[in-house]
Amino acid sequence: MLEVHELTKRYGDTVAVDHISFTVRPGLVTGFLGPNGAGKSTTMRMILGLDRPTSGEALVDGRSYTTSPAPLAELGALLEAKAVDKGRSARNHLLALGATVGIGAPRVDELLEVVGLADVARKPAGGFSLGMGQRLGIASALLADPHIVMLDEPVNGLDPDGILWIRTLLKDLAAEGRTVFLSSHLMSEMEQTAEHLVVIGRGRIIADTSMADFIAASSSNHVRVVSPHATSLRNLLADDGVSITSAEPGVLDIEGVSAARVGDVAAEHGLTLHELTNVEASLEQAFMELTRDAVEFHGSVATSTSTSSSSSETDRRAA
Amino acid sequence: MSTITVTPERDVRPFTSTQAAAGAPRTTLPRVVRSEWIKLRSLRSTWIMLGGLVVSIVAFGLISAAVATGSVSTQGGGPAFAGASPVDTVLTGANFGIIIVAVMGVLVGAREYSSGLIRTSIAVVPRRWPVLLGKVITFLALLVPAVLVSVLVSFFAGTAILTSAGVASTTWSAAGVAGAVLGTMGYLVGIGVIGLCLGILLRSVGAGLGVLIGGILFLPTLASALLPASWDSVLKYLPSNAGLSFTSVEPVDSMLSYGAGLAVFVLWVVLAVGSATWALMKRDA
Repeated sequence: MLEVHELTKRYGDTVAVDHISFTVRPGLVTGFLGPNGAGKSTTMRMILGLDRPTSGEALVDGRSYTTSPAPLAELGALLEAKAVDKGRSARNHLLALGATVGIGAPRVDELLEVVGLADVARKPAGGFSLGMGQRLGIASALLADPHIVMLDEPVNGLDPDGILWIRTLLKDLAAEGRTVFLSSHLMSEMEQTAEHLVVIGRGRIIADTSMADFIAASSSNHVRVVSPHATSLRNLLADDGVSITSAEPGVLDIEGVSAARVGDVAAEHGLTLHELTNVEASLEQAFMELTRDAVEFHGSVATSTSTSSSSSETDRRAA
Repeated sequence: MSTITVTPERDVRPFTSTQAAAGAPRTTLPRVVRSEWIKLRSLRSTWIMLGGLVVSIVAFGLISAAVATGSVSTQGGGPAFAGASPVDTVLTGANFGIIIVAVMGVLVGAREYSSGLIRTSIAVVPRRWPVLLGKVITFLALLVPAVLVSVLVSFFAGTAILTSAGVASTTWSAAGVAGAVLGTMGYLVGIGVIGLCLGILLRSVGAGLGVLIGGILFLPTLASALLPASWDSVLKYLPSNAGLSFTSVEPVDSMLSYGAGLAVFVLWVVLAVGSATWALMKRDA
């Protein structure tokens, strides 16, 4: 269990993390989402005691991580995959880390096999690709079988095989009752791996909810209709609280009416439908909607496409 | 948010590993020292530099001794090292060794900062100070025997060369000789430790080496030569000048006595270790 209470980090005048509070529970994979510079890595560094909070605290199993009797066996973390000495072999890197909690060669060799680095275990880590570096980082996080695993961008640089592997691994770890906390920029990956989400923007928590609820709350959920009678259908459906847009002739994107209702209306008036689909928002759409105002550095294109209806939605939920 | 069922926190299944340490693992100082030892011994550069240190101290010592006997001619034709004390002659290699020791020390301290590994090291030992202590202990475990052996070999082999050639030589039991030889060893080791601490303090190999070699090893000598004599009372307390007072046989008038010089140098080493510990503990990693 990870608990963050009113955690704050200031660098001079810049507030990197601003009074955030959240809990990461055991038994499920919790995703940590946020735009670049939102404060994800800073938060993780504070949990590990690498950066000192300006105020507030981060608790690992109810106490400060720095007082843990066996830190590596309590919380396994991957922060930077490239943070290994280029001249040292993967095996010696893991042996050195494992030595802090009395773990020796048998466990190290077992883990090198698990992460698929056994063949290159004795070669200098400087020659590793980013993906191999990630695998080594994941091996070091799992080395002492910690009951909390915290990974910053773990799928960065992994090939599709590796991504599938880490996804399965993280779910298995959570199913064993461990606490799994990971950050990722890759929305589709996060959508398939995490069950719970903590979303951070400009150093503040803007959502702390289940993945299902997060996506369900998105205004991007709508009904898509393809019909040769699109114009007639549009007039029939037009009502308060219903928003209808048309990306191309014959295609309507309808918000505020269920697919069943659209079908009924079409049948009543004898209108032909070629397609009637419930379009669910992806995590990416839901995330973009929510963080549109929280993105620190976004391009001008992104700003100009934001619509008034969706930003009011954001304000309501962020409040 | 609320549809989530939470698994009870303590329902942690047995570890998937078959090999993990049995019972409750603990991070202890001996384990951190062992971790640092694995790190140090697993880098090829450690052994290359250690070998270079031994070879340069012994080789330059023996060459100097051979030159002093006149059997190896120098470009000037006359015997070199005329007037130099026999101890200084046979321990000439220490002047080269000190540079290697400085580089080794700074690398041991700063190398993890250039790779970012220091954050992993501190994350697994969040109390932090054991990491520095582990580095100092393991570095000493390599450096002390290497310095001991190479300085003793160059002293005994060097004086044997001088004696057999019939030129001015010395023995271990001669006045001040044992102190100077042991002092030279201590100075080499101390500079290594100061280098390690500067590496941690400055977090950069380049900056650490610049400060150590430029600021500590050479600048004081330069300052002694350039500044008026009235400054000597201050300059003699600098690390390298304090070192001069316990690494040579004949006392230099303007320098501290053997005991005082040694004490001042030890204080510098303690100061370096103290500030590196303080910086490591206080800074964001």
